[in-house]
Amino acid sequence: MTYPSGTVRALLDTDHVSPATREALQTRLAQQPQTPRFFTPDETELLRHIAARLLPQPTTREQIDVVGPVDHRLAHDESDGWRYDALPADPDAWRLGLNAFQEAAQAQFGHPFTLLDGVQQDELIGQMQQGTAVGVSLTPHQSKRFFEDMLAELTGIYFSHPLAQEAIGYVGMADKPRWDRVGLNELEEREPREL
Amino acid sequence: MNTYSTNETVDAVVIGTGAGGAPLLARLAQAGLRVVALEAGTEKDPKTDYATDERAQEFLFWNDERLSAGENPLAFGSNNSGTGVGGSTLHYTAYTPRAQPDDMRLRTEFGVAADWPVDYHQDIEPYYDELEHFLGVSGPNDYPWGPKRKRNYPLPPLPLNGAAQLMQRGCAQLGIRTSPAANAALSGRYYQEGVGWREACTNRGFCQAGCSVGAKASMDVTFIPLARAHGAEVRPDAFVTTFDRDSQGRITAVVYVQNGQTHRQKCTTVFLCAGAVETPRLLLINELANSSGQVGRNVMAHPGLQIWGEFDEDVRPYKGIPGGLISEDTHRPFVGKSADFAGGYLLQSIGVMPVTYAKQMARGRGLWGQALIDAMSRYNHVAGINILGDGLPYDHNYLELSDELDARGLPKPRVFHTDGENEKKMNAHADHIMRDIWAAAGAKNVWAFPRAAHIIGTCRMGHSREENVVNANGQSFDIPNLYISDNSTFPSSLSVNPALTIMALALRTADKFLL
Repeated sequence: MTYPSGTVRALLDTDHVSPATREALQTRLAQQPQTPRFFTPDETELLRHIAARLLPQPTTREQIDVVGPVDHRLAHDESDGWRYDALPADPDAWRLGLNAFQEAAQAQFGHPFTLLDGVQQDELIGQMQQGTAVGVSLTPHQSKRFFEDMLAELTGIYFSHPLAQEAIGYVGMADKPRWDRVGLNELEEREPREL
Repeated sequence: MNTYSTNETVDAVVIGTGAGGAPLLARLAQAGLRVVALEAGTEKDPKTDYATDERAQEFLFWNDERLSAGENPLAFGSNNSGTGVGGSTLHYTAYTPRAQPDDMRLRTEFGVAADWPVDYHQDIEPYYDELEHFLGVSGPNDYPWGPKRKRNYPLPPLPLNGAAQLMQRGCAQLGIRTSPAANAALSGRYYQEGVGWREACTNRGFCQAGCSVGAKASMDVTFIPLARAHGAEVRPDAFVTTFDRDSQGRITAVVYVQNGQTHRQKCTTVFLCAGAVETPRLLLINELANSSGQVGRNVMAHPGLQIWGEFDEDVRPYKGIPGGLISEDTHRPFVGKSADFAGGYLLQSIGVMPVTYAKQMARGRGLWGQALIDAMSRYNHVAGINILGDGLPYDHNYLELSDELDARGLPKPRVFHTDGENEKKMNAHADHIMRDIWAAAGAKNVWAFPRAAHIIGTCRMGHSREENVVNANGQSFDIPNLYISDNSTFPSSLSVNPALTIMALALRTADKFLL
């Protein structure tokens, strides 16, 4: 399914969006990548490569920065309320997890992860997910748990972005004054139609 | 609202302002007591401060880290734990089915869990009736399951969204009865004592990330204004750390930190209403009220398996009350001989916000790359059903204090959760039924997301002081001026969402205290 671009951005300028919602989304749209405070430059570069495989983005529009919000959270020692007991605290888990990608890349291909081609990177990503990657940073069980957490966090950041929401035809933020047509196949004027 | 000095000995301090604390706070204030509520979270104005954006609303969740252990570790934060004036009701779905009488007799019926030390018809049902009318619950006149209610719901059901219509279609083909569900969100304007007129639901589908309309009956727009109108003081950003006690062990003051300052509020009685994690955590940290050794034991969670599918129709799952349709035909599958497990479950249609759905596909399906992007491109055609069933207590499921300290210097809680045979059988039974319903409704790409909802238990109530933390009135066996009012006291988890029953017990505890 594909939807027209620009839908969310156009709705942000209308009364269908509340001031608090508009501010949250426009701030996100305007956010430019910052210099990382938690991740080292090497870790940042590695995570960008991983994220590009996990959440491939169209080259025809501005890229969504999914690494920055993770860095911000870890730099401020913020949590989402829980973590798997099998993993160390989030900052340590991320350091170990990223190191595990590098260990596996070196062990299997003799090169850093960032120098591998997409097929090789995907193979290692699959191994991390399955807990079969070669390395000592994480146990197989930890590898699975860390990968799940990482994927969920990056995915949440990505689909919180108005550009990603436009692409899936989501306009739930334009909820004012109300939705009257809520049943099957019932669309309001302001809801985008599939192309 | 009145204000009280910390040196003034107030009649009661209520710790926590969610479904367990707020109703009780209002009841005590209405009786003329001088009461202060201490809420760890902050206070916001939903009409101006809430965004229709999942990420911007993350402040609603209890985001202090908890350690999740066991073979089926529980997700906290957005899944079940809230903060702010109103507690977890700020992000509950407002689903308010009543428990049925047999939900409270699992020990008698099946020999598992524990019976509730109360009488359904005398101790619970009258409060359900009162609450449904005070909160303004929207629901059907002819509800097919459970004892007939004395009065109809005060408002008609909310409109059925796409997911609800699809579940209706699938169940009709299979001969499974359905009904529009009871939801504590207003299908029309409603006048409420102590509050004035509350506006009707606008079908914005965002209940789990906060209602900006005031239509959802969270505590901040219902019992808390009522409590304040009768003189209660609510102090936000007040995190309780310990208690002062006299030589007899009775509590004389509640010690809390607010804006970096430590305060001591003198009081005659304490009502601890911090939920099934923070309530036992505070007691364990201070080694209180635990002569039974049961504080932190009997952790339960509701099996909440979800089945998702994609449909040809436009669903737009972000619109309408998320849980529009219900069936309780699976309340006792054992009796119908279709199952060999204790208890039962309800079936519920579910709408979903996009970030929540995307994260579930990441965790539950492990999708990434183009497969994830493609699956999310079909978000507007997605609808779900889920169950909510009895989760039993086991010795292997409990809460303890870890050695790891949080930013306040307090030990983080560790919660063990592993499904037992009963939960496995229930989930398998439900997986089968829900896949049949979705197949009958025309779903494609069906997938299951195993999960557990709510956390219950940890300070069980009962008749014997050897096996329970509090008595049937919520009063501690060890410290007579300490009461607990929240989901930690439930002896079994019930086959329905807990909020309405938490509120019912809260009102009952207040009434017993006031006798």
